[in-house]
Amino acid sequence: MRTATRVLALCALLLGACKQSSPEQKQPAQTASGGAAAPSGNEILIGATLPLTGGEARIGGFYKEGYELAFEEANQAGGISVGGKKMPVRLTLLDDTSAQATAASLADRLINSDKVSFLLGTYATNLVEAQSVVAEQNNIPYVNGGGAATAIYKRGYKWVFGLLAPVELLAESIMKWVDAEQQGGHLPKPATIALLWENTSHGKDFRKGVTEWADKTKTYKVLVDESFELGGKDFSALLGQVKAAKADLFLADAHLPDYITMQRQYVTAGLCNKVLSYGARGSEKQAAEALGKKNVEYVLSAVWWSPLLADKNPEAKKFVDLFKAKHQNRVPEWYQALGYETARALFRAIEQAGSLDRNAVKEKLAALKMTSILPGGELTFPAEFGQQSHAPFVVQQNMPDGSSPIVAPQDSATAKGIAPNPNCGK
Amino acid sequence: MERFAELVIASVLLAGLYATMAYGLGLIYGVLRIVNLNHGGMIMAGAYAAWWLHAALGLDPYLSLALVSVVAFFVGIFTYRLLVRRLPRGAAGGVQSLLLLFGVWLILRNAAYLIFTGNDHTLRTSYSTLAVGIGSALVSVNRIAVFGVAILILVFLHLLLTRTYMGKAIRAVAQNPDSCTLVGIPVERIYGLTFGLGTALASAAGLLGSTLFPFNPTFGGAELLKSFVVVVLGGLGSVAGTAIAALILAVVEVFAILVIPAYLTAAVGFVLLVVVLVVRPGGLFGQRVLG
Amino acid sequence: MKVPLPAWVRPRAAIGLLAACVVLALVPLLNGAVYWHNLLTLTFVGVAAALAWNWLGGYLGQVSFGHAAMFGVGGFVAAQLQLQLRFPMLVSWAIGGVAAGAFSLIWGHPTLRLRGPYFSIATIGVGEATRLVCTYWDWFTGGSSGLSLPMRSNLKYELYWYGIALAALAVAASYALRRSPMGLSLLAIKSDVDAASDVGVSATRLQDWVLFLSGLTIGICGAFYASYFSYIEPGDMFGFDRSISWVLMGVIGGIGTILGPALGAVIFILVKEYLIASYPQLYLGLYGTLLVLVILFEPLGITGLFLRLVRRRRPDLAVTGMAAED
Repeated sequence: MRTATRVLALCALLLGACKQSSPEQKQPAQTASGGAAAPSGNEILIGATLPLTGGEARIGGFYKEGYELAFEEANQAGGISVGGKKMPVRLTLLDDTSAQATAASLADRLINSDKVSFLLGTYATNLVEAQSVVAEQNNIPYVNGGGAATAIYKRGYKWVFGLLAPVELLAESIMKWVDAEQQGGHLPKPATIALLWENTSHGKDFRKGVTEWADKTKTYKVLVDESFELGGKDFSALLGQVKAAKADLFLADAHLPDYITMQRQYVTAGLCNKVLSYGARGSEKQAAEALGKKNVEYVLSAVWWSPLLADKNPEAKKFVDLFKAKHQNRVPEWYQALGYETARALFRAIEQAGSLDRNAVKEKLAALKMTSILPGGELTFPAEFGQQSHAPFVVQQNMPDGSSPIVAPQDSATAKGIAPNPNCGK
Repeated sequence: MERFAELVIASVLLAGLYATMAYGLGLIYGVLRIVNLNHGGMIMAGAYAAWWLHAALGLDPYLSLALVSVVAFFVGIFTYRLLVRRLPRGAAGGVQSLLLLFGVWLILRNAAYLIFTGNDHTLRTSYSTLAVGIGSALVSVNRIAVFGVAILILVFLHLLLTRTYMGKAIRAVAQNPDSCTLVGIPVERIYGLTFGLGTALASAAGLLGSTLFPFNPTFGGAELLKSFVVVVLGGLGSVAGTAIAALILAVVEVFAILVIPAYLTAAVGFVLLVVVLVVRPGGLFGQRVLG
Repeated sequence: MKVPLPAWVRPRAAIGLLAACVVLALVPLLNGAVYWHNLLTLTFVGVAAALAWNWLGGYLGQVSFGHAAMFGVGGFVAAQLQLQLRFPMLVSWAIGGVAAGAFSLIWGHPTLRLRGPYFSIATIGVGEATRLVCTYWDWFTGGSSGLSLPMRSNLKYELYWYGIALAALAVAASYALRRSPMGLSLLAIKSDVDAASDVGVSATRLQDWVLFLSGLTIGICGAFYASYFSYIEPGDMFGFDRSISWVLMGVIGGIGTILGPALGAVIFILVKEYLIASYPQLYLGLYGTLLVLVILFEPLGITGLFLRLVRRRRPDLAVTGMAAED
């Protein structure tokens, strides 16, 4: 009996609390056109979540630096111009703790409670995939530089825009460079491949890129094709398989901790392949510290952006200088660059639309052609790829002197890559 | 054949680590009848302690092993006196102790997040990638060292339990706490000492693990589960049983790659756990209590 | 109007539940705040799930650390039915629930023989093994990319009322499982299995029945979750953290009580919302501390505190030492 009254009392309290908060807008489903959110005063409110704690906290922090730099840059110029008037931009950033449900719920909160006009994306494919659903449901532009899986962009969503090119393209970029080396006679033809990939969408896309390329060009044979669990500790059995296969190329796709573990076990087991790559990993300073400079020599990697692009791309140079000035001469990596550029793309679209109307901004994003810090120099969101940018990747190789120059594509290259791995001669 | 030899060596070395991890858990359950879910937390703490000592003082992890173990020992006694002692003994306390120590683990994890952030940490020493040839296989020096330390620990434990007064008291309490009181053995003190010993063993295992793998605050979870498998397989508290069970688990995990896809080998341990619990909860060697 | 109710149902409890449902159903009409609306929907699922967990963990005394396995099975089965075979939503929820219930029987029937901590350890193994295998089976779960459900623009809003129904059914079932004659049998099993069977209580059949119900309900919660977010992936659905959250809700709210876990769920979700915004780095430690405090000082959690407040003694909750000795 007490229980029932308690429940009633609780509900009465809840009701009271609900009435307390100011009457908000009625359900958004009625307004299907995604009308304009009235700007609060003369500020543009932009919302975003990032994994600031949890497994992806390190990278989340980097993206935050990128976002903050873009916002500062815009506000230092007085804001961005919306139909002739300059309006400052304000970022409401929340921590989604690398959890999918939290990312989606927080997006909900940003839209419905904090009343942001636009959303910037979070980092990590599954978080972006979950969050983009909320954006699409609420008809609010969602620009992200953190989700690379093509699955995100194959759902026919109109409000979601991605700056990260798909991981298949990453694998292709590496294979293209290997191809060139093969043509140049530095690698055998046909070449054999040992392929290890983490069992995530990232790894699967990487594997797809490699195997499709091998099928297409017919000058490669995949001998080992195994997946492993993210955060696995012991790769000795797996590497034993790789060793037994005696392949020419060792291609793996892993996150940083697995890269460190695997490479350490790789070197200890005395493995050495003519070409060695861990996908997007390889050139990180952290890895060189954890493994020792000698043990990351000649590792090939392909990334969405490199600070070395500043040599030939004036936009990139501007960004690098700006970042170094703010962060005690620290050089940015691709995380900060993508964060920065994502925010910039949204700003540009708002300027072009001349208003804060979500539909108008969405149209401008779809049609965007922006000079960019990205490789290739231009950022677009092609409709045929579900509004996912397909800007090219840069391929880098770690050199014995500790540098990681760009070896491909030609127009951004700062050095010539080396194959086969000279350390394997012994 | 060469591959077979490699796999065998890998299994044996891995078994040493697993045995060290499992023994602390088994000891605490055998004597106190408490499942120490904070075992994972102490493994993690040992890893971070080793890393910190190495980063701040340049101390090699094998040299700081004694220090870390001793500190963990007292932490264990403290945990017992402060928290565990208040729980009812026996079947009633079973689930409660589970939940209590689980809460402690959550707190430790949060502390690690706050102090060290969630990023992965790696302990790199000059010999991290050093390898020696055993037969035709190349084996990591580090793994051999870990195995060596594991053997030393097990020998030390066996001697402690069979030759010293304290060890015999522990075994007596495990068999029948009430009779012990009658005979004048300070049962509560023994409980505390055992808990401390189990905690020390967990931290030592964590230290050893830190030399091999990168770790973050979630480290210890998977290791805890593997410890369960070993403890359940090997019965309780038997040194020999634990060692053999650890070997079985390591062999199954390493050789599984020959029959199932590499990704699923991670599930092997869990499936084994459930199967053993259902089929033979007394372990492969029966419910022996410290012998 | 005389409504025929079974003898063990207190009319005031039934009225209370009905009243609560009506009140909650009317709330959105008085206050249109979408944010709270959605938060409440998630709370309803949490309440249902925590109560379902409690049937096994509290009523039977078998604490499960792997309930996320059923949550995931229910969610993915329902999602696949809607994606591949275009089943209507409620039908796929029902089938998902049944699938989850059946799954729980497969691993649960043999392991329920285990007593005390052994069962809990086994559930950890089950939860993790299920996660790994299901992530591997990408024909079922889409692998780590997960599954995206077709989006219906008004669905999220409407799910609020489905949520009320789900939570209400769970509360009613909790009440029934406790107050009915079957509830007494469960209590008997919890305190002493052998003595219970001596008086003719068939432990195995009853345990299986409770296990199935628990799995079924959690499976439906998983299906609900899938419809709500329109996107699910195995790492999140089968995650150990998810299993843990129900343990926390149950214990902090009051394990073994009828409404305790529901209260625990409400507190858990509200606290999380508040903490996420202000102190995201602390919620693990907070829950850990709460857990420790509850176990040491008030094993019946918040319900226990409340009972102390009103000076009521509940001897039937003192079984197996989970409550203070009377």
